[in-house]
Amino acid sequence: MVPASDRPTAPAGTPDLELLRKFEPVVYYTKGEQVYPAAVEHYVEDSTLWKHHPDGHDELLVKHGQMTMEKLIEPHPAAFGSVRYLRFIEALNLTEAARVLADQAALRRQIGEYFRPGIGRLARGGFLPRLVDGLFSLSFLLRGHLPAADMAAAELDYNAIREEHPEYIYYGRVTRQAGWTVLQYWFFYYSNPWRSGFHGVNDHESDWEMVTLYLYEDAGQLVPEWAAYASHDFKGDDLRRRWDDRSDLMIENGHPVVHAGAGSHSSYFRRGEYQAEVNLPLPGWLAGILQSWSKFWTETLGQPPVQAFHVPFVDYARGDGLRIGPDGPQAWSPVLVDESTPWVSQFRGLWGLFARDPISGENAPAGPMYNRDGSPRGSWYDPLGFAGLDKVPPPPQALPMLEQDCRDIVRRQAELERLTPQKAAVLQSLGIQAKGMEGNPHLAKQHAALEKEIGTLSNEVRGLRRESSENTALLQGLTRWLERMQAGLVDDPRAHIHNPAVPDDPTQALRFDRAAETWAAVSLSLLLFVVAGLIFFAPHYLWAGLAVILTLFITVDSILRGAFVQTIGRLTLILAMLASLILFIHFWKWIILAALLVMGISLMVQRLRELAG
Amino acid sequence: MPRRNKSNKKKRPIAVSVIAVAIVVLFLLRLYQVYEPLIRQNVFRQGVTGALFTGWSLTALGRDLLSSVIYLLLSLAGVFVLVGFLRLRTWSWVLLMAWTGLSLVISLVDYFYSQPNYAVMASNVIIAFALNIPDVQRVFGIRRDGDGSSL
Repeated sequence: MVPASDRPTAPAGTPDLELLRKFEPVVYYTKGEQVYPAAVEHYVEDSTLWKHHPDGHDELLVKHGQMTMEKLIEPHPAAFGSVRYLRFIEALNLTEAARVLADQAALRRQIGEYFRPGIGRLARGGFLPRLVDGLFSLSFLLRGHLPAADMAAAELDYNAIREEHPEYIYYGRVTRQAGWTVLQYWFFYYSNPWRSGFHGVNDHESDWEMVTLYLYEDAGQLVPEWAAYASHDFKGDDLRRRWDDRSDLMIENGHPVVHAGAGSHSSYFRRGEYQAEVNLPLPGWLAGILQSWSKFWTETLGQPPVQAFHVPFVDYARGDGLRIGPDGPQAWSPVLVDESTPWVSQFRGLWGLFARDPISGENAPAGPMYNRDGSPRGSWYDPLGFAGLDKVPPPPQALPMLEQDCRDIVRRQAELERLTPQKAAVLQSLGIQAKGMEGNPHLAKQHAALEKEIGTLSNEVRGLRRESSENTALLQGLTRWLERMQAGLVDDPRAHIHNPAVPDDPTQALRFDRAAETWAAVSLSLLLFVVAGLIFFAPHYLWAGLAVILTLFITVDSILRGAFVQTIGRLTLILAMLASLILFIHFWKWIILAALLVMGISLMVQRLRELAG
Repeated sequence: MPRRNKSNKKKRPIAVSVIAVAIVVLFLLRLYQVYEPLIRQNVFRQGVTGALFTGWSLTALGRDLLSSVIYLLLSLAGVFVLVGFLRLRTWSWVLLMAWTGLSLVISLVDYFYSQPNYAVMASNVIIAFALNIPDVQRVFGIRRDGDGSSL
């Protein structure tokens, strides 16, 4: 654990840029990474500006070579549903695409850094997710997507610009909310070649990533307490780690360490290979059926959940490539931004191609301040809520806040102790009055009114007693917590994390041998060949053959992945359910008869036992 | 009233007894399948009198004898699994589950393409469901307490 006194600090009045530099992160990339954080200006100047109209056609607003930062923020009236976007790579014809891919290969040879996937992502998932992955790949035929050549061209152009402007840029922002000083580090990448370069989920032009640090003021010094890294679908509490959480957060000379995912640039606390899952967008009715099935499977049958429609992808954050940060050869060039920076606040469009992908995976992102639809981005206007910190006071304020809460409860308890007997006495008095009225028909009206009053007062007294009881329990808990805080005891730094991003266990990876990898690569194609063979040679046995072949494939797969016992259990259970259905269809009368007989006998035994005493 | 003795000894869930009964039922069914062809071919009265092969293929007697031998082996395997199962051995759970799965595949293929044996199918269904009960999996060491996941 790192006590607050051992943490790096900065005087409270430190200028923003200096503050950003004091705590700027060290980012480790994976060997084979193709793009690094760069300045937006050169990217914009090398792009064209477009507008996508709601009727589907795209209009060129600013031609190549004429683009400037001023033109980026020029106001353009637009209809609802239109999208403004930059386009870094113009459409390539077949010859250009081939040349670009060849040039990319030459560039890689020249740089001499290759990405080696190691154990493929396919071998890490089961046969069903692999089948779904095949469908996911096919979905690109229907969805808008970026060709691999576009990403290659972006890489080439980035490298050409990098030769003239080799600096690594971050855009830093300092803001203050609810006692916290928030430092945001925004990183701009020319492209996100996760799919084409690293077998990931998506590709898109440009990429914005962000790291946030939260500092509190103590005795005139700013002390770092939390770090939050933007990472795929993680949100809220799961995004942040406390400065003393050494199981996750690494610190190098007072600077937090970030491990960037290859191609995705997603930020991770620990180096490693992360399983990123993508849920296929299913129609509502199908999702409903699957949800019911999942409930039946887990709750009724007591089985571990199966997530067949999750496609596993690996995000490689190995940290074995370039290191950018202080105390090293590659340092940061910071640029301070805020709401008054024109390109930050006045350009609500996309920072790259609008690929018309309905699920947005291939569309470029918007800038730091906005979402893709132009609405304000939560992480910008509510950086505390973004990391679930809106409910957490800065440490120096926590103790007085808790003491005040305890005092308030004690005061309220004293008030309740005074109020409750008074009200209870009035209630008893009313009760005795009502009793006295009984047997006097001429007092019926007054009796009814009194009964109503008694009911209201009774509820009030019950409420006061409940509040008192709840306050007692609450006060016990708060007092215990207060004593711990006063004694200087520190709570678990990971107590707030519900779903931490955990890298794959490297020792477990040894279980996947060459056979498993080869099988994972060829099994799906092999299955298709077998199905084709069945259709051609034995069409009469198509369904039975398909069932047998699928069972065989899944079994072989489970043996290779070391999951035979689990798989055979699930498979047999599914077969048993199918067999049950068949048995019910053929013998439903007998089954119902047997059930009625059993119920009748059981009821009779119970009743006779009751009768016998 | 005296206190009931509670021990930490590994106890056999009721479902295990149900499965054991189902295995015995299957054993008896298999035993019938061993004897039926032999009786049909009068093997017990006259012995093996005819030829078993004609060229490279089996005669009717040969086929019946082969099926009897296979079912005999299956019955013996059933007894072997039953012993392991009653002694709560992990391997017997895995073997029985794999065996039940295979048997269900055969039953379903039979159902769609020839004569199904509903008694065998029903026994397998009972065994499959019973083997998947969490308590049964725990007692055989297939499921660990706490994590709720299969091995």
